[in-house]
Amino acid sequence: MSQKRLKLLWLQSITCNGNTHSFLNHPDLFSILSHFELIYHPVLETSYDIQALLSGRLDCDVLILEGSFRQEGFKKGGIEVFELVKNYAEKAKHIISAGTCSTFGGIFKQYDPDSISGFCFNGEERTESYEKYASKTISLPGCPIHPKWLSYVLMMLSHGKKIPLDELHRPQELYGITVHTGCVRNEYFEWKVDTKGFGLKEGCSFYENGCQGPYTRGSCNKILWNDTSSKTVVGTPCFGCTEPSFPKTALYTTKTNMGIPATMPLGVPRRAYLTATGIAKSFKIKRFEERIITYDS
Amino acid sequence: MIVKKLIEKIEGEAELDFTFDKGKVEDVRISFGFYRGIEEILAGKDPYDALVITPRVCGICNHAHLIAAVRALENGYESAGAKISLTDKAKNIREFTLACELIQNHMKWFYMTILPQLEKLLDDRSGENHALKASYFSSTITKALAIFAGQWPHSGYAVPGGVTCDPTYIDVMQAENLIDESIRFFEQMVAGIPMHKYLNIDSVSELHKINGDLARVLRLLGASRMAETGKSHDRFIVFGDCILFKAGKSMATTVSNVDIQYVEEMLQAGTTAKAVTYKNRFFEVGPLARAMVAKEPIVKSLHKRYKDSLITRVFARVHEVAILLEYSKKLLQNLVLNEPSCTLQNHLKAVDFEGVGVAEAARGSLIHKTTVKEGLIAKYEIIVPTQWNLGNSSNTEQGVAAKAMIGSSDPEEAGFIFRAFDICSVCTTQ
Amino acid sequence: MKIAEKKARKRESIILTALQLFSTKGFHKTTIPDIADKLHMSVGNLYNYFSSKDMLAKEIIKFTSEVLGNEIKTVNMMDISSEEKIRKIVEIYFGMASEKPEMIEYFLRVYLSHREVFADGCEGMTCVSGFITEIMIFFDDGVSKEELRDQDFFSAFGLFMGYLGGMVFLKGEEILPRELDEYVDDISRNIYYALKA
Repeated sequence: MSQKRLKLLWLQSITCNGNTHSFLNHPDLFSILSHFELIYHPVLETSYDIQALLSGRLDCDVLILEGSFRQEGFKKGGIEVFELVKNYAEKAKHIISAGTCSTFGGIFKQYDPDSISGFCFNGEERTESYEKYASKTISLPGCPIHPKWLSYVLMMLSHGKKIPLDELHRPQELYGITVHTGCVRNEYFEWKVDTKGFGLKEGCSFYENGCQGPYTRGSCNKILWNDTSSKTVVGTPCFGCTEPSFPKTALYTTKTNMGIPATMPLGVPRRAYLTATGIAKSFKIKRFEERIITYDS
Repeated sequence: MIVKKLIEKIEGEAELDFTFDKGKVEDVRISFGFYRGIEEILAGKDPYDALVITPRVCGICNHAHLIAAVRALENGYESAGAKISLTDKAKNIREFTLACELIQNHMKWFYMTILPQLEKLLDDRSGENHALKASYFSSTITKALAIFAGQWPHSGYAVPGGVTCDPTYIDVMQAENLIDESIRFFEQMVAGIPMHKYLNIDSVSELHKINGDLARVLRLLGASRMAETGKSHDRFIVFGDCILFKAGKSMATTVSNVDIQYVEEMLQAGTTAKAVTYKNRFFEVGPLARAMVAKEPIVKSLHKRYKDSLITRVFARVHEVAILLEYSKKLLQNLVLNEPSCTLQNHLKAVDFEGVGVAEAARGSLIHKTTVKEGLIAKYEIIVPTQWNLGNSSNTEQGVAAKAMIGSSDPEEAGFIFRAFDICSVCTTQ
Repeated sequence: MKIAEKKARKRESIILTALQLFSTKGFHKTTIPDIADKLHMSVGNLYNYFSSKDMLAKEIIKFTSEVLGNEIKTVNMMDISSEEKIRKIVEIYFGMASEKPEMIEYFLRVYLSHREVFADGCEGMTCVSGFITEIMIFFDDGVSKEELRDQDFFSAFGLFMGYLGGMVFLKGEEILPRELDEYVDDISRNIYYALKA
């Protein structure tokens, strides 16, 4: 603790507070925060109040941004939030765009796509802020953010370590794999066995139920949600909430072309996928047609 | 004299404009920030997409939005002639996960709003990190929720016909352990006495048996004479009919039926939030309303002495935690795992319909209405609980929270009375 | 290296010879000695390449499927409309039926008629995946370009391949009054109209 603690400031723009609440679920929340001086946070007690925050005069080393942005028209206490964001972004050594809204624009962007966007990105496009701030920005998309993804980044920053990022400034350790990685339904995917409707632990949701796991970047099935589960584990399709394109439409249905999924697993050529599929589908494997557990009634 | 106060560290922020006259609050206007347009975002989407989009109204009561959305869909498909019957298993799991969210919310409010704000207001600081307790408790209970729903916040596991999960006994036992852990926390930290003793308390004269942080809050409220502030219309309403909560309205000492068709939304000047009335009158929603309609003995007893004052309102919300914990444990014990989780095998293809779904969210009744034309959402309407409680005064009567604050001599105190309603600005301004 | 190459060439010539015999004489009537005889090789040596007649049968279907698949692949790679692709696929199929009738004959008369031979090791589409994959890509591409109507894979596949197979069968039975290539125009148009968006 000889090193001076970094000053952490959490700033909300157009948001649902989901990232704030997701992070509050972190079982080691206060150990993580103990590495920082908490300057401002939307719900936790902090040394400064909102008036001080709005004055723009607070110090800030690490700026966490939550929510999507519009250049003007979104105010707090009479202050344009985007101006405030730029003010603190200027001071910050590191900026974390926490969640899909602040990274790419997310759901709230759809209300007014021309004026609402993420901080450095508008979907996949770069925004005006990109040039100025991208070099110190780390993207942590997810709707909401995963508490442990954020804690990983915070700990790395507090230890002065460099985080390898991809072209959209996402940490490779978190987004280098897909949501499909580690899914408990992987065997069913390998053998192309669809889950029959909803509510079954057997079967894969990629073919009918809209699961975007195989082409969505994120470690939801490596670092589980609430330390216990994930959407795909409980039979809910992955909605692709970490992606710049989130949200697409008809999220519980797989878009298919003559029965063939319209979107391929990430980086897999259609010909390669279809060759493997045709073969895997040819085998009726008894174990995958059966229930895993039978309970006596 | 107008005094402006920006209320922070709620869900988002709210601005209160107090009109003071002779040193007391004469009226107060409540305004919220930015309208996010969730209803407009939904227009033109697949009806099922409401299950993903509407939870993003709110980071703290997202699950209630999911439940209201799925009920609206089911109601709509049924009105179009489909037959949907949920298994007890699916019903119980939905009830369980919703109960977990309410519990999570109430404990965060208790430890992150009520305790610290009350200590600050009365300058009686314990020096404790209350948020640590809130975080421990909420991460425990939301873990139980996530066992079934996959994650919290923002699950999408409730679908027409049931739920997507297919739990095993490993899941159920784990969830039960987490509920037990939450009960233990409530016993040791909140009530300071065993759960069964706590639940036996049914009158004000027995409240002294309570220890722990709840006792401290009651003591602080009592000693500061704040207990009896915050009275409002003393009218309560509940729409979400489920196993635990009953729909109805409570006025004076009478509980009677309600019909959702009398609910009306109206625009308000100067804020993006809409107010809501029932037969043109304001009603309070939330834990106090639910306890009044369900005639919960200890809350009724408090109400008899203190009416709908601050202490009754605060107590009702904490008390609901105990009731919900007991209830969720029973739900788990009653789960029959070999029943189907979901009774619909395929997406329903009804093209035109209207559906209404109601759920009891942490802050009160939440109503979703979906209108589907040619297979796509044509119109989506969301009425959130805080719209009931935080509507501004109309020509004929004062708003619920506004009335509770009127008469206070101090904006700080009025701000606390306001927070006792468990304010959520993000919900209010979807 | 040289030996391996030699062996591969031998293997292919066995496949082609067997293919011819199976589709002309019939699968059951053709014996391993018949094939060896035609190739001027010993029965024992032939068994070094294929351990049984059934094994040989399966290798042949994989081989023909690859040949046909590769032809369709070149069509799939072309930057032309689905309508034009349909015509090219029909031409390829009929061209093959005229120039290498044994391949199509084998598919129709051996593969489809003796499923018991292919039950083990050629389940479902395993041995014809080279061909099926390309057809899938053709359909998938057509639908995503909104040139073809989205429908169940097998309703489209049955219509396309059943039609072509039926025509070749009629030709083989010498029922068809005209040459196959004279039907290309009409048949391509019929298939396109049935599949288009």
